[in-house]
Amino acid sequence: MNKKRCVITGMGVVSPLGNTLEQFYTGLRSGLCGIREMTEWDIAGAGTADATYFGSPVELDEKFIKSLPRSMRRSMSKISLYASCAALQAIEQAGLQIGELNNQRTGCIIGSTMGGTSAISEAYRIVTFGKGLEEMSSMQFFKSVSHTAVFNVSHFLNITGTVMAPCAACASALQSIGHAMELISFGKQDIVVCGGAEELAPEVSGSFEVIYAGVSSTRMKDPKQCSRPFDSRRSGLVCGEGAGIFVLEELEHAKARGAEILAEVVGYATCGCGTQISQSDAPAIRKCLEMVYADAEISPDQTDYINAHATSTLQGDFSEATAIREFFGEKTPPVSSLKGHIGHTLGASGALELAASLKMMQESEIIPTLNLESPGEGCEGIDHVMAEPRKKQLDLILKNSFAFGGINAALLCKKYQN
Amino acid sequence: MERTELIAAINKTFVETLEVPEEDLKPEAQIFADLGLDSLDMVDLMIGLQRRFGISLRQSEEMRQIVTLNDLYDFFEKLEKQEKAQGVDTDSKIKEIMNQDK
Repeated sequence: MNKKRCVITGMGVVSPLGNTLEQFYTGLRSGLCGIREMTEWDIAGAGTADATYFGSPVELDEKFIKSLPRSMRRSMSKISLYASCAALQAIEQAGLQIGELNNQRTGCIIGSTMGGTSAISEAYRIVTFGKGLEEMSSMQFFKSVSHTAVFNVSHFLNITGTVMAPCAACASALQSIGHAMELISFGKQDIVVCGGAEELAPEVSGSFEVIYAGVSSTRMKDPKQCSRPFDSRRSGLVCGEGAGIFVLEELEHAKARGAEILAEVVGYATCGCGTQISQSDAPAIRKCLEMVYADAEISPDQTDYINAHATSTLQGDFSEATAIREFFGEKTPPVSSLKGHIGHTLGASGALELAASLKMMQESEIIPTLNLESPGEGCEGIDHVMAEPRKKQLDLILKNSFAFGGINAALLCKKYQN
Repeated sequence: MERTELIAAINKTFVETLEVPEEDLKPEAQIFADLGLDSLDMVDLMIGLQRRFGISLRQSEEMRQIVTLNDLYDFFEKLEKQEKAQGVDTDSKIKEIMNQDK
């Protein structure tokens, strides 16, 4: 069976550095960092290191929220608002209108780690410490569920094709985009609005802290320097939030509409490691890389840039660097991670970072890894982009995402050529 | 408690909780057909009314039979009479409710 070609015709973001791709990219390029201390979080053990959290929050424009009719807004917690805002940008860039996606040939796939984290927490508070069901809104469930972002966006945009929500933590966004690509390649959908989203919440940040994968506030006092992918002084990750949404489209469909083609998605792979639940596994990552190049039928040496998953954890960055080094050999493509700028946006990360990477492709430059000053032991031997943006034509880029549960995902995007 | 005070307090819940324009709140208006609300909204309306009036409505079968705003006003008037009969100072209560809203 001849696979159809799948292209990107729209991108939208809600990020800790701004709520348009231009703002986000300008922030990244300027070396800004969205991380700060989350003083508004009321966490047990106030004043102790365990209760001092850094995070990378989003500030969403109230005007956008108010622009949504109440019948849409009522079932949206923050994750769905972020995803809706990003999705609207994406369809606008693609030249699509709400009202023309109601055709069963347009799908919507948006993944996340948690669903509506704030609504889940609120539900527990009401049931356990409040007045119980007497006070439970009819919308609590709809704001909470793991597919809350995708069903809200599909309602908002009136999308009636395939609607689904991969839940694979930090690999969710790439799985969404990858599955969208497969649906289009196999002719099952013409357009898929897809990506990932996440809410920042103390319950989730705390989950990383408790296994010592979160950034150590005893070692890292400055929130702007605490997320340091691949660096020798890295001590853990910082959670962030946001959404990245794409319009993926079958090439001939896009051409027939006269849509601007931003890039082509040429390869996707996902695999489990089968052994570890919390530690990434270099052999499994390497396998995922083998699979994605096989899927694309492209030689790895064609790769111009790797946007790493690299979250600033000791073990994860080491495993990814090891896998890249072993897979690509002595001369690796240039590598950078954006988590020094925005922390780890979990279910949104694959999509947000892919959007930035595609912007790098347009600008022919690579954003360096913020706060990477000296690669840590085991993270050397790959071509780190450090300190300054690097000018380079980017025809083929690899995006990595690795998740708790031992799930790996990789996506290859190519500059579009007719 | 005057019926007009009761209506004002109920209408405020529609405006604040469900963002229904005040001018749409006519006594004969049907809650679903005319105000564009649905059964999910009714749950949140009930929560709003419970909070405002300090009562429990969740298990009320009568509440589920309500069709128009007038039905709702009548239902609350009946509740008010029951409370009054039980010795509750409903005049002070409605003043308190209205003061909270100021």
